[in-house]
Amino acid sequence: MKKKQLIVNIIQYIVVALILLFLLFPLYWVLITSFKENMEAYKFPPTFFPQFPTPDAYIKLFTEDQYFFRYYMNNFIVSGACAILTTFMAIISGYALSRFNFKWNKWIIAAFTSAQMFPVVSRMISLYGLMGDMNLINTQLGLVLALTAAMIPFSTMLMASFFDSIPKVLEEAAFIDGAGRFKILFSVIIPLVKPGIVAVGIYSLLMTWDDYLHATTLIQTDSLRTLSAGVSVRYLGELSYDWSLINTISVIGIIPMLLLFFFFQKHLVKGLVQGAVKG
Amino acid sequence: MSKMKKVLSLLLIFALTVSLVGCGGAQKEETKTDSAQTDEAQATNEETSETSDNYEFTEPVTIKFANYAVLEAGYDVFWNNAKKGFEEKYPDITVEFMTAEYGQMLTQVVTWVGGGEKVDLVFGEASWLPTLADAGIILPVTDTFSEDYLSQIYPSMMDAMKVYGIPYGVPMYASPFIMFYNKDLFEQAGLDPNSPPTTVDEMMEMAPKLAALKTADGNQVYPFGMTTASVGVSGSCLTSLVYGFGGSVLNADGQLDIDNAGFTQTFEFLKELDDKGYNPQVSKLKDLRNLFALGQLAMYYDQSWGFNGVRSINPEAANFVASAAPLAGGQGTGESVIQAHTLMMGNNGEAQVEATKLFIEYLLTEDVLVPYLENVAPGYPSMMALSEIQGIKESPVLSGALKSLDTAKSATNIPTINDFNLELTALSQAVTVNDKEVGQSIEEFKKVAEIILSN
Amino acid sequence: MQNKSITFGSHKTKGAPFLKRITKDRLFALSLLIPSIIVTVMFILVPVLDSVIRSFQDYRIKNIIAGTPGQWNEFANYMKLFSNNKLLPSIETTFIFVGGVVLAQFILGMAMALVLNSNLKGARFIRSIMMAPWIVPTIISGLIWMWIYQPQYGLLKYVVEIFSFGKITDFAMLNNPATALFGIAIAALWKQIPLTALLLVSGLANVPDETMEAARVDGANSVNRFFHITIPYMKSIIKVTTSMAIIENFKQFPLIWTMTGGGPNNSTSTLAILSYREAFVSNNLGSGAAVTTVWMLLMVVVVILFNIIFKETKMD
Repeated sequence: MKKKQLIVNIIQYIVVALILLFLLFPLYWVLITSFKENMEAYKFPPTFFPQFPTPDAYIKLFTEDQYFFRYYMNNFIVSGACAILTTFMAIISGYALSRFNFKWNKWIIAAFTSAQMFPVVSRMISLYGLMGDMNLINTQLGLVLALTAAMIPFSTMLMASFFDSIPKVLEEAAFIDGAGRFKILFSVIIPLVKPGIVAVGIYSLLMTWDDYLHATTLIQTDSLRTLSAGVSVRYLGELSYDWSLINTISVIGIIPMLLLFFFFQKHLVKGLVQGAVKG
Repeated sequence: MSKMKKVLSLLLIFALTVSLVGCGGAQKEETKTDSAQTDEAQATNEETSETSDNYEFTEPVTIKFANYAVLEAGYDVFWNNAKKGFEEKYPDITVEFMTAEYGQMLTQVVTWVGGGEKVDLVFGEASWLPTLADAGIILPVTDTFSEDYLSQIYPSMMDAMKVYGIPYGVPMYASPFIMFYNKDLFEQAGLDPNSPPTTVDEMMEMAPKLAALKTADGNQVYPFGMTTASVGVSGSCLTSLVYGFGGSVLNADGQLDIDNAGFTQTFEFLKELDDKGYNPQVSKLKDLRNLFALGQLAMYYDQSWGFNGVRSINPEAANFVASAAPLAGGQGTGESVIQAHTLMMGNNGEAQVEATKLFIEYLLTEDVLVPYLENVAPGYPSMMALSEIQGIKESPVLSGALKSLDTAKSATNIPTINDFNLELTALSQAVTVNDKEVGQSIEEFKKVAEIILSN
Repeated sequence: MQNKSITFGSHKTKGAPFLKRITKDRLFALSLLIPSIIVTVMFILVPVLDSVIRSFQDYRIKNIIAGTPGQWNEFANYMKLFSNNKLLPSIETTFIFVGGVVLAQFILGMAMALVLNSNLKGARFIRSIMMAPWIVPTIISGLIWMWIYQPQYGLLKYVVEIFSFGKITDFAMLNNPATALFGIAIAALWKQIPLTALLLVSGLANVPDETMEAARVDGANSVNRFFHITIPYMKSIIKVTTSMAIIENFKQFPLIWTMTGGGPNNSTSTLAILSYREAFVSNNLGSGAAVTTVWMLLMVVVVILFNIIFKETKMD
């Protein structure tokens, strides 16, 4: 029995090691490539540790390519605003969906469900025309609205499942005490779904951080671009690939989000799982 | 039960929104016609007031310039300086760049204009002309530029600007697809670095010697690079190769014209290259530039300004690069396709058009263009008057291929050229990486291409 | 999320205030819902329907520029798609891609989750670091894998060379029509496995230990326990993760477009790529919209089928 347990353990470790290798080695690879000299990066067979580690690419990025950090800031502004807006709308709409069971709820859920399935490509032109009519082209507000719209269906339904788990007795009590509906929502119920709010917020931040199609279509001015769009404009151009620079950018592009994620990990995971299980 | 309900409610939502869209769509049309009318009204107003050649700008004008190159290392400095210089010269006019990635630019211009954004000027490939002209986004240049002015440009380059006979762009500089080769590798292989191959057969004779070479790092050397990746410009390059074999791809009316020996021989040649491992598979031009810069590629086809990309990877490349005319294959004499970086004008009212015209003229002046072609993007200036410039005639990057400009032809410009070009790359991939038989692949290509062309 | 049922009814009080309260509830709920509904309808449903309508019209770029409406063209867009032999291969490619990625994602994610749920040392730490790929933006993840697959000096070429004992020296994942889709699938999996594993591992935590123990005492082996206890208990979470994965991969565009552009020889041309090419490379928005419509319909059908199948299996 003990022997069998040992074998099981070993197999477990192997499985974990293999999957982790698959998940993490590419990141290691990007990291070390970013520290290689340009010519060493193109060496074959490749070196698994830089022969002459050099921070040149980083220095170049920090000193010459200032715009990279502008993309970064823009992405934070856009994703941050989206996250706040999405979360707020998800809270109120999710609450309504969860608490007030009317006939049209089903329609709304059907609409939300189908809305999250529609590909961006299919609505790009119409979306652009719409934004044009509202004078929102080439503005961060327009991008924020478009991205928020894309996030709302999922976020609202996630949020609704959190409200589902709050016993309605609380509201009844507050209502009998004479509290208004808004007051009940904001001072009684919302504090109880904090994990859900954090989860929805972080999730929409991470998802909008990844956007590429909206940003390339709706933004034309370089100083307003977000990261993915900016990276593709600058480094996937007509002339050539500068792989060591691309690797450096990848590293810099990943780290802050990674830190943010580790910081909020517990809430995000808890929230997503709770929402998903209930959903 | 609830499943049924869900499906039903889905349908209802659709129905609801259909009716909404109905209203929304109608409204949009109305606003569109409105703005068209006001545009017309403006245009007629201005026509009557404007008579002299020197247009008077009554108020500051901003030119919206869609340009992918502004953001690319290698091009950025030039474009920003050009903007600065022009704005100093004409304080009333501001140039505002609209940027997108090279591969997305054409789509972006269409989306922008479609969404109501005004684009005054586009910098890009000549192959974008038919799409933009067909969509009504750009103006025939004969509308704005005098015949005198346009007659200073090489007629062959002006031909490349034509869509159904009307020129829609002003070429800034042009290049046929030429052959770059690495003199150092030729020397190492025991070949004469000053006599590159002129025919496909000569090249294939030299190839084994080059293929036997290794770089200092022990990496493989490819003798000959031809781009076949799934991007539009690869299709132009393949067309050029077909011309080199004396074949044709499209006739002057934009109809498929591939029942010729040259076309078949081209793809047989590609298959042979691939079978022998001479050509890096499914490469984009930028992959080839990369390999060439690293000394892993002995010869390859590119536009002359492609060297800018080579140099940005390895500045030393200037020491070993040389250019030659494209190879002659089969019954052909090594003709090539003219590629031009082109300026295309939008149609946003008199003031915009006049300002844009001034900017184009400014870009084509000797002071602006020649340093650019000498130091940044090697290419052949479109103005005949500028061709006598020493720096361009003696440039190691250009001199060897100078003659091929005379024999270069322009490709037929049809609105579906970009999709057609992608299909052409798919054909080259079929016979190489897919190992399909040439004749059969061409038959399959024919079917798909006919549908694209009839689109 | 799809079949979220609302169990909470309106408040039941007695007498006259009852009606009043219902109406007030209604108004309140409506006012809370309206912002989300407006945004969703305006930015998502209307554009989508716009595109569906366009799929029945001869609608090109010039229609947009000139502001002229499209012409009804008697299903010509759809007929063209079937006659030029592009739609069916694209559907096939899409299904292979989605099916393969979703299945592999579930198996690998589940394997990871099972191990992480056991008393493995450092499970918490592993759970944290394994999430890293999920945070990487799609465009950057495409670049990372392109760099690994690079045909001349890529890491994978070297690895294959070593494991084939020097026999295969020119392995180029994305250049070979037989392997290109697989290459993209790996990149997609890389980014998606972490979240799947994370959600599944949390789902596993919901499986009651007592039930597990009881089954063990009854002599059920681990395979039986997995299929008869673990899976049923994790049903809802499996359903959610899987339908999320189906939707995400059905929609996958930027990754494929940057990595292969649909090539080589159309071997990675999914419905997403085909619709983009028809609409924006051929500049025929009508036939692009036709592809998109087929694409959306298939997706809706697949998701509904998936939900139905999942409900059936609940019975055993």
